[in-house]
Amino acid sequence: MKIVALASVLLCGGILIFGTAGFPDFGDPLSPPASHVSPHYIEEAVAETSVPNIVTAVLADYRGFDTLFETAVVFSAAMACFFLLRVFREDERSPSEKLYRHLPTGIILRIDPGGKAPQSNEFEPIDPTWVPHDMIVKTTTRLIIPFIQLFGLYVIAHGHHSPGGGFQGGVILGSSLILYALSQNLRMAIGRMGETVSAVFCAAGVFIYAGAGALCLLMGANFLDYAALSPLFGVDAIQARSLGILVVEIGVGLAVMSAMVWIYYNLASVGRHQEGL
Amino acid sequence: MNFMAVVFVLLGLLFFTGGAVGIIRMPDFYSRLHPAGKLDTMGLLMSMLGVALYTIQEFSLGEVLTGLKIMFIVVFVFITSPTATHAIVDAGVRAGLEPWTQDISREEP
Repeated sequence: MKIVALASVLLCGGILIFGTAGFPDFGDPLSPPASHVSPHYIEEAVAETSVPNIVTAVLADYRGFDTLFETAVVFSAAMACFFLLRVFREDERSPSEKLYRHLPTGIILRIDPGGKAPQSNEFEPIDPTWVPHDMIVKTTTRLIIPFIQLFGLYVIAHGHHSPGGGFQGGVILGSSLILYALSQNLRMAIGRMGETVSAVFCAAGVFIYAGAGALCLLMGANFLDYAALSPLFGVDAIQARSLGILVVEIGVGLAVMSAMVWIYYNLASVGRHQEGL
Repeated sequence: MNFMAVVFVLLGLLFFTGGAVGIIRMPDFYSRLHPAGKLDTMGLLMSMLGVALYTIQEFSLGEVLTGLKIMFIVVFVFITSPTATHAIVDAGVRAGLEPWTQDISREEP
């Protein structure tokens, strides 16, 4: 069976490599995309969409379908991680003993299964695997995370005018949450942004994108033709395309951010969501 | 202004070169992290100062803003780079990596 699989993989790969011979040469100015599509984008993008950053215009407007399904791929990757890794039952290997840190002194208590947990506010439950309690890292990340998130929002919102956009901004936002989980612990990060919230946000991001496209359909234009949204935004058709790109970028950013956080939760704790790295 | 910018960038490159040589030449993990941390702070300060001076050619608002943004990079690296070095050293100590020591009295065979 392995030989059959290997043979089919080699055959498919060989056919794909053979197919590359039919490509136009790299940088060939006479190739079909370079002679029809690219000049149109370069010359008309600002006039048609009022977006100075041509990359964003191509990505979210001219080739909106491509980016829509990229977002769907991100969503399905997060879903696949969830279905493959998430475990809901208790771990048999380590019985559910619980560790508590006494905050004023730093002493750690271990409560055996069936034991009585300390009720005082001075105790903080910590992960079963030992997590370093590092004041310097915690303070620095607490200082830096708001700026990271502000920068992520800036990258999403400013994708029209400078390099950036939904994917990049979403990754920055997601990494700020992952940094929080790394510096504190996984349980506190899940307390901030739970599994349900990240799943709903991930789906909502794709929904915003597809919904913007479907709204164009309802307004009597093609799918993802944002010019049809101009009555809703109250601006002319060209400006509406620019705003439509912004809506789509927000959806992409939301989906990417929560997909990253969700995948991190599942990967870091092998699906158990109770212990950190 | 351009002259000052070139001087600052060259100074920064000098620091970067020294740091890179230090990373290669130092004997063990902990002492290699020392030039790595220095390189980020001093070399980046010098080269970014040079770039910011080069940006501000004629004190218009946009150029000064760009220069300020470049200096913000330095501020954030100054906060995060020592923390990153600290965290790496901390991880090394917790993992049980012994610091490199040399006994002068004993001759190497």
